[in-house]
Amino acid sequence: MSSASGNILELKNVKVVYDNVILALHDVTLNVPKGKIVALLGGNGAGKSTTLKSISTMLASERGKVTGGTINYDGNAIEKQNPSQMVNMGMVQVLEGRRCFGHLTVEENIISGAYSRKLSRGDINQELEKIYGYFIRLKERRKSQAGFTSGGEQQMIAVARAMMAKPKMLLLDEPSMGLAPQLVAEIFNIVKELNEKEGVSVLLAEQNTNVALKNSDHGYIIETGKVMLEGTAKSLLNDDKVKELYLGISKEGRKNFRDVLKEEGKKKKKKVN
Amino acid sequence: MADQILFFIEVVVGGLLAGTMYSLVALGFVLIYKASATFNFSQGAMVFFAVLAFVGFMQDFNVPFVLAFFLAVFLMIIVGLCTERLVLRPLMNQSEDTLLMATIGLGYVLEGLAQAMWGVEVRRLDLGIKDFPIPWIADNLKLFISAIDLTAGIVAFGMIIGLTLLFKYTKMGLGLRAVADDAGAASSIGIPLKHIMLLVWSAAGVVALVAGMMWGARAGVQFALVDLALKALPVLIIGGFSSIPGAIIGGLLIGAVEKVLEVYIGPFFGGAIEGWAPYVLAIFFLLYRPEGLFGEKIIRRV
Repeated sequence: MSSASGNILELKNVKVVYDNVILALHDVTLNVPKGKIVALLGGNGAGKSTTLKSISTMLASERGKVTGGTINYDGNAIEKQNPSQMVNMGMVQVLEGRRCFGHLTVEENIISGAYSRKLSRGDINQELEKIYGYFIRLKERRKSQAGFTSGGEQQMIAVARAMMAKPKMLLLDEPSMGLAPQLVAEIFNIVKELNEKEGVSVLLAEQNTNVALKNSDHGYIIETGKVMLEGTAKSLLNDDKVKELYLGISKEGRKNFRDVLKEEGKKKKKKVN
Repeated sequence: MADQILFFIEVVVGGLLAGTMYSLVALGFVLIYKASATFNFSQGAMVFFAVLAFVGFMQDFNVPFVLAFFLAVFLMIIVGLCTERLVLRPLMNQSEDTLLMATIGLGYVLEGLAQAMWGVEVRRLDLGIKDFPIPWIADNLKLFISAIDLTAGIVAFGMIIGLTLLFKYTKMGLGLRAVADDAGAASSIGIPLKHIMLLVWSAAGVVALVAGMMWGARAGVQFALVDLALKALPVLIIGGFSSIPGAIIGGLLIGAVEKVLEVYIGPFFGGAIEGWAPYVLAIFFLLYRPEGLFGEKIIRRV
């Protein structure tokens, strides 16, 4: 079904409940076309991470459960798989907050990503060199303990580690979190390069709407566990509602809520007059 | 004077060699602490269970020494397998405290099982090594060092080197260290937690068996081994819970210090301070160096 439609990942009306009572996702339907980058946007608690975890089957470890809808990845229904099976199927999630192995060296961190693959020492070195081609900064720091590297480097380690598993699809959870704009740009460039050269499809959850849309093909905006808006990245960047609510720009030049209130006040005065 | 120095050296060496046994038991604790960040209270019971099974195979079924050893190793792997399947997996994603309580329960089950299978009497374990000073060393260096202490030291040293190499240079070892750092992240990149748990519990079981054989040969295979194993607690506090070299050095330190204190300071307290002196040392460590000598400092970026 999914190969016919050209989508590597299809979510249909997915519903997720935590601890049997807390409804985190109401109704999420989204598609990721093969070889494309799709952005999943929304504020804190909108359900971005939950959506990603429902796909990578990491929900179980947080006592969450998909209670409705279907998830279809690469022609397989995702139901009872565990994260390690998902990795074997070519789906790897980069968790929010980077989560490097702090006491391992940078290189050991990256090598650990190949755990699921049966590679010889020589193959691993070959793969490593390829990965270092994308993450030049990491090669310089290969012998350092990962816990002492910078936030940007840790994010790179996390992505590099995931790439060592040779994924067909990457799930990135807030790669921009807590990073300087320059580093964010650097990381998104690498993601784009990986997407183009390695053909890996990407679903990325982001709060940084602007950067995310500029680097992706398609976007979904979710709020309180529901998809509110979707479209091509270009159309979303030009959408008035998105501009006002997520990008902080509007035609009238309003930048924040104070401007909005001021304007409403002026309108009222006019009516009185 | 020369006699006194010689005597002091003898006390220290004897202590160090006895300390290797503490190191061995502490090693079992470290293995499991690294993988699941929990203090395995059943380690003492595992020591008892393993060595009692070993002696049981030899004495009740007349199995030869080497075969009995491998049977016991096999049994400990089965214990590891059952622990993973019946205790750890259902408790996955529960807090570390829950796991701690579970290991206490597991300890009682193992103690009970061991006694139900092999009986409660103290058994003699003869490894063919005598608890007497080695004549060559006694004649040439004038030191009285027990053959069994020396053997235990060598065996412990060998196991330590083996385990260190396993962790540092094998794929499984890398997986274990990754799980020790962040189990969630490890599973996100496809490291199967259950394999790692199985490896760790089996390794801890084998270490328990060897430690039990060394102790059993000396004091008889008996229930007291369970409590003796708790001596590893101050060793771990001093060496650091997550460090293999720490377990070794901590064990040696405790062994040497408790013997020296016993001999030189013990008489003022009416003797038998061996039993509690290590804990006093541990308290000082908790006060001034809580991560232990070699424990991994918690890395926190600012």
